[in-house]
Order: sequence, then C-alpha cells, then structure tokens
Amino acid sequence: MGLAQREIESAGITTVALSNIPDLTRAVGVPRLVAIEHPFGETVGRPGDPDRQRAVLWGALEAAEELTKPGGIKQLPFAWPATANKREGHPPTPPPIVNYLRRHPWELPRLLSRDIPRRE
Amino acid sequence: MANEVDSYRFVRGINARLVRSWIKAEPLREIPWTPLRRPLSDCTVALISTGGIALRRDPPFDQEGERRNPWWGDPSFRIIPRGTKADQVRVWHQHIDPSLAEQDLNCLLPLDRLDELVEARKVGGSAPSHYSFMGYLLDPREFLGKTLPQILEHLRSEAVDLVALVPA
Repeated sequence: MGLAQREIESAGITTVALSNIPDLTRAVGVPRLVAIEHPFGETVGRPGDPDRQRAVLWGALEAAEELTKPGGIKQLPFAWPATANKREGHPPTPPPIVNYLRRHPWELPRLLSRDIPRRE
Repeated sequence: MANEVDSYRFVRGINARLVRSWIKAEPLREIPWTPLRRPLSDCTVALISTGGIALRRDPPFDQEGERRNPWWGDPSFRIIPRGTKADQVRVWHQHIDPSLAEQDLNCLLPLDRLDELVEARKVGGSAPSHYSFMGYLLDPREFLGKTLPQILEHLRSEAVDLVALVPA
C-alpha cells in the first residue's frame, strides 16, 4: 500500500494513508501517515459504529492539512478494547501461504527476505 | 500528543517476525510530496482500500490462483462507485475476516462516512469512483507497472485532489 501511495503522490495527487502497522508503512517512505490501533478487516471501525468510523476517516483526511512535511505522522487517539477477541479481524481459515510454509518450513527465509519465487 | 499506536497489537504469530524483517529490508527512499492544492472543504476525495472488495456484478479477485501458488496475489483492481452499499459487494481477501466489511462496507471503505463529511461541508466532494485492490502482493511489480497507471488515469479524469488509502 505504501508503494502505491508513493506513486500517486509522485503523480501529483495529495495522499494520506491510514495504517495499523505504522512502523512498516513509515519504513516504506510515505508522504503522510495516520496511525490507528484498530484490527485488520475493520481498520476504520466495527460494523455498525458510524461515529468511530467517521472520526477515523475525518482524522485521516484532516491530516492532509495538518501534516506539512514529507514523512509526517499523526497518531489517532482511539482505543480498542483490551478485552476484544484476539481472533477479531483475522480470517476464518489460515491463508494459503501459512499452510504452505507449514509443509515447507525451509522456505520461510524466502518470505522473511521477500525473495519471492517466480512461478507459472 | 496522543500515545503512539502499537504496530504489533494485532499482528499474530509469524507475522510479527515478518514485519520486523521487512522493516529492516526497506531501503531509505526520498519521500514524494504534493501539497494539498485547496482547503479540504473544497477538495474532491477518493478512497482506496486494499481489502479486495469487488461489486457482486464484477469478477472476483482470483483466490484460486493464490491457492495454487501461495506466493502470488491477484494484482488487479476494481472500481467501487460512490453510493455502493455492503450488500452490493464481496470481499475477496484470504488474509482478513471478509465478513466484517460484507456486513458494513464502511469498516474498510467508508463511503457513507465520506458522504456525511461532504454533507457537513467539511470535505468538498466524494469522487464518483473509489477503488480496491487485494493487498497481499509479495511481488508488487505487476500491480505498480500495470494496475496503478490505470487507477491514476481514473483519478485524474475525475479531478481528484486527495486520495485516502485504507489498509485492510
């Protein structure tokens, strides 16, 4: 996502990215980053929680005016309940790469170093 | 100053090792910069979600291809028009729980919330088109080389001033 953001910004359109892994998004070198501690699958807010969703979207859009230097970061203050189900947001079954690496654990270093095999 | 977001709060198992390793591997790059050209209250805004969201009438993102080759992800994109509701879409992404945004699209692509901000005159307008691609792209070359230029063309044709990217 960060690489896409960089391309769009380079093409002359202002961009802002939400991220729930801001350390990774920042490392890619994005122009404006808005950090949000929300789970995957509901980054903007839970289903049926319009107030939180609106506050998160507005917090992100407003950052386009607030952040005035490349690489600027804004932290959104919204908390996620500590009691939330740890599986919330995660897929019902593991993604294919997880099952694959269980059967081929020696290929994990390729994933860690993003040495992606090109196959047909 | 708000507390800093914990990047590892929702990252499970092996993924924490991946994130740390990928952070270290990122080269230092010059950061591009396009200043906002007008006040937010005059800006046309488009949203881009990495959720693999597609209209039910459009082709799904290719999940079978990823099952055949787990290193691969479908690098295409779909347009999601302004006004789209959850019951008009499917979420094709094997790394998240798709049921949340299928109940309420605003979880990943907050089109209704954007309309409300326009209504409140805080934002100039919502673009006619918004976008989704499937964010599991370990090798992003085809996406960056073929898909992104098409998205850029659409953004330009609709005079979009500000793009907000929303991760899944």
